[in-house]
Amino acid sequence: MGTPILQASGVSKRFGPVMALTGVDFRVEAGEIHALLGINGAGKSTFIKILSGIIQKDSGSIRIAGKNVHFRGPNDAIGAGIATVQQHPELVPDMSGLDNIFLGRESAGRSLFARVDRQALEKRAKALLARFSVPLDLSKPVAQMPAVEREAVAVLQAIASDDIKVLILDEPTSTLTEVEREDLFRLMRQLRAQGISMIYITHQLEEVFAIADSFSVFRNGTCVARMSVEEARRQDQSLATLMLGEEIGDVFPARPEGLEIGETVLSLKGFGSAGAFRNIHLEARKGEVVGIFGLVGSGAEELAKAVYGVQPAEEGEMVLKGRTLAPKSPREALDAGIFLVPGDRRTEGLTLTRSPLFNVPLANLKRASGGGWMLRRRQVRQDASEITRAMALHPPSLTTAASDFSGGNQQKLVLAKGLYREADLYIFVEPTVGVDIGARAKIYALIRELSLRAAVIVFSSDCDEVNGVADRTIAMHKGRQVDPGPEGFTRDQLLMAGIMGELHA
Amino acid sequence: MTMAYPDPAFRRPRARKLARTITNLWLVAVLVLLTLAISSVRPQLVESTNMISMLRSFSIMAVMVLGLTWVIAAGQIDVSFMQVAALANMMTAALLAHGYGWSVAIAVALGTGVLAGLINGWLVAALRLPALIVTIATAGICASAAAALGKGTVIRIADAGPLGWMLNTPVLSVVPVIVLPVAVLALAAWYIQERLTLGRYIYAMAQNEAAVRSVGVPVTRLMILLFTLSGLCAAMAGVMLAASLSSGQPTIGGPFLINGLTVVLLGGMMVHVGKPNILGTLTATLFLGVLFSGAALLGLPDYQRQIIQGVLLALGLGVATWAGRRHGSRGGESEK
Amino acid sequence: MKLLSPLPSIWGRALVFLLLVVLVAAGFTIAEPRYLSHASLSGIARHMAANGLAALGLTFVVVVRKFDLSIAGVAAFTAMTMGAVIAAGYPLWAAVAIGIVTGGLIGMVSGVAISRFGMPDIVTTIATGSVCAGLAFLYTGGRSIFQNFFTSGITDLNDARFLGLGVSLWFLVAVYAAAWFVMHRTRTGHAFYAAGENPVAAHYSGIQVKNYVVLAYVLCAVCTVLAVLLILAESGNAETNKGANLMMPAYAGVFLGAAMMAGTSVLATFAGILLITMLLDGFSLLGVPYYYSDGVVSLILLMGVVAFSGFARNWASSFAVFFRGSGRTNNKREWQE
Repeated sequence: MGTPILQASGVSKRFGPVMALTGVDFRVEAGEIHALLGINGAGKSTFIKILSGIIQKDSGSIRIAGKNVHFRGPNDAIGAGIATVQQHPELVPDMSGLDNIFLGRESAGRSLFARVDRQALEKRAKALLARFSVPLDLSKPVAQMPAVEREAVAVLQAIASDDIKVLILDEPTSTLTEVEREDLFRLMRQLRAQGISMIYITHQLEEVFAIADSFSVFRNGTCVARMSVEEARRQDQSLATLMLGEEIGDVFPARPEGLEIGETVLSLKGFGSAGAFRNIHLEARKGEVVGIFGLVGSGAEELAKAVYGVQPAEEGEMVLKGRTLAPKSPREALDAGIFLVPGDRRTEGLTLTRSPLFNVPLANLKRASGGGWMLRRRQVRQDASEITRAMALHPPSLTTAASDFSGGNQQKLVLAKGLYREADLYIFVEPTVGVDIGARAKIYALIRELSLRAAVIVFSSDCDEVNGVADRTIAMHKGRQVDPGPEGFTRDQLLMAGIMGELHA
Repeated sequence: MTMAYPDPAFRRPRARKLARTITNLWLVAVLVLLTLAISSVRPQLVESTNMISMLRSFSIMAVMVLGLTWVIAAGQIDVSFMQVAALANMMTAALLAHGYGWSVAIAVALGTGVLAGLINGWLVAALRLPALIVTIATAGICASAAAALGKGTVIRIADAGPLGWMLNTPVLSVVPVIVLPVAVLALAAWYIQERLTLGRYIYAMAQNEAAVRSVGVPVTRLMILLFTLSGLCAAMAGVMLAASLSSGQPTIGGPFLINGLTVVLLGGMMVHVGKPNILGTLTATLFLGVLFSGAALLGLPDYQRQIIQGVLLALGLGVATWAGRRHGSRGGESEK
Repeated sequence: MKLLSPLPSIWGRALVFLLLVVLVAAGFTIAEPRYLSHASLSGIARHMAANGLAALGLTFVVVVRKFDLSIAGVAAFTAMTMGAVIAAGYPLWAAVAIGIVTGGLIGMVSGVAISRFGMPDIVTTIATGSVCAGLAFLYTGGRSIFQNFFTSGITDLNDARFLGLGVSLWFLVAVYAAAWFVMHRTRTGHAFYAAGENPVAAHYSGIQVKNYVVLAYVLCAVCTVLAVLLILAESGNAETNKGANLMMPAYAGVFLGAAMMAGTSVLATFAGILLITMLLDGFSLLGVPYYYSDGVVSLILLMGVVAFSGFARNWASSFAVFFRGSGRTNNKREWQE
């Protein structure tokens, strides 16, 4: 093997008191697809931001084809031959694919007053497309393109500058369907054939075996393993164990002995919403956690939002505690006794600029004002303090801004809002995205605790999470519900059902 | 992406493009109809004197909002342009009154406009302050400075200079000379907007600034440039006003705020629907000029014109919002 | 706008504010001893009442993260409306009631257009303001209205005194106290702030965000009506340019107050408008020509927002870190994955 195309040694980065990266050693060989694995909070994103010049490392060195480089900004990284496709690529929706690909590179010099030569651009685009067998209508505005075509436009944009040696793809498949993913993989193989190395960031373990040549695993801000895929296959190495550093089962609480399944709280009959999901039949009872496994595009998140009245469903019936209900807004759902812990807690869950004291009573201002108009501030403080203490909020402060809490503790705050509301049905969407492993266990324990007095539904795209936390699991695939047999799903069956839409491949 | 052969259909169907262009030029049709309708009742509308005065104010107004068009197209707002014009107007008059020549007066007045634009741009783009607050404040400062230059009163100008000649001398008996340089300026702006990188960055920025920034376009500098251009254009109009009125008037700015925003937003409903653009702004300026002149000929009082204009602005805004929403929902659908 | 500052506590900020008040007062008194005279102080109180009401209205709108540029137009139209009602011989309370209802309706139109139909706030309010300014001419074609003004008792709002202070000041204090109570002690206020700072999260928490936006515009217009009422009481007639000078001090007061107190609040606006009015009256007492007043207020506003901005904050906090020697940085947000 020759000189690695990219080699990082001892890269460290500190954010205030937190070491985000400690002495990362990492390398990518020329012409390989290298997967970068790690749970949220492992330091992947920080490392990628350093490689693409968005933030600067504190110490350590990065070499490209043996040459030492130092990036002061994104342009330095591009100049050195590293291009990045962000997880959610930034494109201009109204512009055509062609214009997006060459945005900022319309002319040789980067002038604001350069003439845009459409014909030359079209020629360049044709040359670019000719290198890969990608059928793309580049005259369409990207707003009208499906997700995979936008991803392709973003990839083409990244490699449009000359002499790209390393392409970083940050979780590109998270918004793609199964078929689209194959298309993207085909494009990646073509890029590899042209000699471009790729760093491929993913959560999905099976993708590593499908596309990568080798992989590195990040854990707790450092790179804990690097091996080739063949090696991993040979050793029958469990990637999950490598990523987590412990057995997965540890984080899930056991179902308490003698817990009785109580009354039916929610039942959905033929629930449907055009284009998102259809004909859903579901029951949630007090005393159990129902887990729904669905990847992005499966309609799972839309189903959760329909039950909560964010995007009302169009078909079917929803019965909550014996009453038929069709919530048209979260307000109506809340009043009926439903609380949703949203997946995007930073925009949907919390007022980040404000303290827990502001956030916790937000979903139940009636209780905060004792049914009247004036807030009972002492009572609120007392309640909030009780709730947050019980869930071990850290730091245990009621006045720190929500933005200053870690992901896990922010999730606890959203949950505290829900507890303050005292609902009959709690719905969780992706409860542990961006939550570190320690806080995950605590959140699973809280979910279990909730099930003692309310019905709980957990929606997640993490199969192990659904399998671990729920008493009963269902999968969703392309808007359709996949039910288990009378025995329920095993973990592998659930995974298969969510990915393929059926029990057996 | 399931077809196996590359078929990049780059070329837009020309016929469809032409048809779209015609439907996009509806405001021109409205303008023609309005002119015909008013002139059939009040033929004075298209007589030489009225045409000259209409085209004169058109030229001044058009220059004033040329830069503003791009600021709004880029997703920002500038409510200081009319006071920058007032300041430039007073600056010109004051310098002339102190015995300086027209060239010095013009240079200093334009310099003032550039400075005001630079300050706006720097505060908005570099310090990331809200554009509205910043430009409200600079507008107030400029207005005060303008009034202070004349100690609160009008400054008369003895000689309207070459600009005055251009504003008042007609070619072909209906078009004042000033229209020619203004047309050249507008054409240049149209060319920049349609053919140069700057133009596409402006619209791209309004939609997704992060996307433009991430490909290495100097977004901050570009935004400062746009505000500076807006200041410069406003100052040019202020100088023209001085020559046109043979005086510096400290309170001249006020009414131009709503006029300027109306033409930019109304113009944004043609050519590129939902996007302020040079051609649209020019048409809307002409439209507003005819409307006002006609209203005056029909004997409508000032305030009724103001109401009409407010309604027009709200209407333009409503349609633009509606178009934008339709567009947004289309984007949302493809999201799924 | 995230409102953090190197200054630690609200008390430290209050202290800075008091210091500024003392400095301004001392400065003007040295330049012109009459500044502290009874006439001057009661003038400040009177101007403060009108400015303060308009600024309070704007505060609601700024809390829901919007702007309102229709203040001048609303003031002109409602001034003439109230004037016309008084001139027609109706009692004062009827005029005030009609004025408030008219203002409220205009605010509702703006608010509904902005929240329900998603129209951009700045240009929408410019349009409604312009229509209102035009409508103000409907009654008299622009002539001043003064009939029945002295018999209606409206001037008492300006002249009457209670416990030695002008009744308009008491009125201001009462309105501010009510506003403070609602915004900072009731569930309405809590929801108001939630709707402004993160509308999505507020929606998910069952708060009807759009209604609060409409309410903010209605309250803003109503406060503007009250402000212009005091102006009518002071001048004894209604003209179409009444209230033209309300907008600048209102913006300056709200944003200067927010800068000083690290956030938009009723008390912050009160502090801001007090300083602005003290400065404005001081300058006019010193014989600075009227046309400088907008410039002065604008300059203060600009300095306020610059101090408000992250730039100034980071710049200042770099000193704070230097003094405290703490490792707290602003990088936390980037670190979130």
